[in-house]
Amino acid sequence: MLRYQENGELHMDFHGTTNTTLNYIAEKYGVDALKTILRKTGHDVYKSIREKLAKRDASELLEHLNWFFYREGAEFKLTVGTDEIRFEVMECPAIRHLKKLGLKPSEHICLQTSEVNAGMCEGTPWKSSVEKKGPSHCVQIFRREAKA
Amino acid sequence: MIPSDHFVRFYNEVFKFLDEKGGLEDYYREISRHQELHCLKVFTENGLKGMYDYWEHIRIEENCDMELKLGENQLVLQMRKCPSLSKVLDNDASPCLKYCDHCPGWVLPLLAKCGYSCVYDLVDRTVPQCRMSIFNRLEDARKFLNELLASGRDPSLLRNNFNCLEKKGTTV
Repeated sequence: MLRYQENGELHMDFHGTTNTTLNYIAEKYGVDALKTILRKTGHDVYKSIREKLAKRDASELLEHLNWFFYREGAEFKLTVGTDEIRFEVMECPAIRHLKKLGLKPSEHICLQTSEVNAGMCEGTPWKSSVEKKGPSHCVQIFRREAKA
Repeated sequence: MIPSDHFVRFYNEVFKFLDEKGGLEDYYREISRHQELHCLKVFTENGLKGMYDYWEHIRIEENCDMELKLGENQLVLQMRKCPSLSKVLDNDASPCLKYCDHCPGWVLPLLAKCGYSCVYDLVDRTVPQCRMSIFNRLEDARKFLNELLASGRDPSLLRNNFNCLEKKGTTV
């Protein structure tokens, strides 16, 4: 079950503010500072997902990916194996919306995915990675390491 | 991608980082410049009615429980339940104590740029309610602020853009 229940209207212009913020933090405080904030977001905000992952339970992560990308109108493919989850997003809804607003996507935009996912996986048997397939097409991968 | 639904919880993490660095005010100005993309033309060309239309759109898209009152010389936004602070409080990460400051932080400079006076009452940083009053005459805004102060409102929770307007040297 999702920790954060969101069912109302969607304000996609927040992607514009996120984009501005990514550029601002990276330019003023450095990319490492930006990564720290994003990773902390993944670790702290998504504590519920992280704690389940630590118990080898990926159910909330799957629900999170499925629900929020659906709400954003994304075309995606979710493949769940025994020890690997692959979440392919054909066109990133954030990049699509930035283009609609006439904004240039930040060169740091994909850190949202890679660092937040890494934060969710910290201290768990899962490791995350991102395969970029194109400017707005990627595969988010979560791999479970063998039991120690 | 951070979902639009969860943006404010990321925003909250950004605020905590910037507060530690003493960098909030500069960041608010950057966000205010960004918001010009959505607001500057409509506020400048359509005045208080343009502002009403913008925040009515926000009321719907951001799921706000708020009331907008448009008069001839003023617009009042009464937020009864702010979805942004509500999400930050319903959060496994700790809230930034200055979370509410971002709204007047971007709104006040933008309104001053458009020539409008604003008095922003944060009401209570831990309760998702606030009140924004926008005036097309600076003297009306000053009078309203004085009334609020006289009524015992906490001055530390009141913001205005009078200095920005005076520097600009004009109102609508």
